[in-house]
Amino acid sequence: MHPDSDLEALMALYQEGDFTAATALVRRLSPQLHRFFVIQFASRREADDLLQETWLRIHQVRHTYRAGEPVLPWLYAIARHIRVDHYRKARRTAAREESLERMPEAAAPPVAPGRIPDLATLLAPLPASQREVIEMLKIAGMSLEEVARATSSSVGSVKQKAHRAYERLRERLSAVGLGAGRAGGPS
Amino acid sequence: MKDREIDEILKQAAQAGPEMDPALLDRVAGSIGSSLTPVRPLPPAWVMAGGLALICAAVALAGAARSGFYGIPKLSVLDRALIFPTLGIFICLAARACVSEVIPGSRRPMAPRSLLAGGCLALLAVFAVLFRDYGTERFVPQGVVCLTAGLLHAIPAALASRLILRRGFAVNAVAAGLVSGTLAGLAGVTMLELHCANLEALHVMLWHTAVIPVSGAAGALLGRLSRSRESQ
Repeated sequence: MHPDSDLEALMALYQEGDFTAATALVRRLSPQLHRFFVIQFASRREADDLLQETWLRIHQVRHTYRAGEPVLPWLYAIARHIRVDHYRKARRTAAREESLERMPEAAAPPVAPGRIPDLATLLAPLPASQREVIEMLKIAGMSLEEVARATSSSVGSVKQKAHRAYERLRERLSAVGLGAGRAGGPS
Repeated sequence: MKDREIDEILKQAAQAGPEMDPALLDRVAGSIGSSLTPVRPLPPAWVMAGGLALICAAVALAGAARSGFYGIPKLSVLDRALIFPTLGIFICLAARACVSEVIPGSRRPMAPRSLLAGGCLALLAVFAVLFRDYGTERFVPQGVVCLTAGLLHAIPAALASRLILRRGFAVNAVAAGLVSGTLAGLAGVTMLELHCANLEALHVMLWHTAVIPVSGAAGALLGRLSRSRESQ
């Protein structure tokens, strides 16, 4: 495992054609990319496909990474593009198959009282834009500036989305008894 | 419930997710490794932006040289000192924004729509301050000629810019198209200011400035079409 600061060095080596660096990047970054797709209501299989597609695209455009710049905003910007593209294709297919009938909103899965659900279930009631901000900010550990870069938005907008997401999460967690002095581990 | 507690729950929830399939990671690494060759990274952003700004200047100068520098002698020193630096500033901003749009995850100097609106408003303000002739002689025929000339010069500017931007990767093709169109439109307006001898306020404010939004909209439309084609 490489510490965070090594990502930039690994990217530079990857651009030079170093197979070990490429493999290290795949092993290091794939779990968080996979989680990024899973929390957007992708099935496990869809997330696997999106992950492969993302790495393929990363490989094609690896020359667009500039040495010294943070790797995660670059990576997540590409992953977002793949996800949005996938969503558009899926919507078009659904529109063809189901004529003009609107797809129903995905219902938030229930959370067992007192138990911490997995991330996808926990973030399910949030809008997609808030889910991705929370994933990048709180799980991937990116800074506000990095999330703003990855999502092509402003720092103010990222802050607002995170704030609104926390408001909704607070309500949801309080409703299932996951407040201070909570009991139970991950279910 | 405090934010710190929510942070803690989110971290625990993230750990509760399913493990990744190691075979999938091997497959991804294998597919990358089979076509792994050294690549030449993109040049620094300022080099690309500088190249784009130079292209705009070259297209505007070449266009005005071909059609005649009839506008310049009619402009006062103050006119020149306000119009061309304003155009220069927005060309530099648009060039920098174009580069940001083709480098994933880079810092945006300005949102593409704000750049388009800001460029138009700044030029309208400058023209409104400088030109006091509110005559409208042959308003539409002359205006259409200028709008067409501006757009015809925006096309080579956009095509030449493509040479610099082609190695990039636009994660948002519509935004990239909009900002490229805005840049090309600014090159068209610069050519008109060098060439057009009609200094009627309404002519300049409407027909010259209109080159920017029309060119920007055309760029956004092309971006949308390319996105649709890609995701077929």
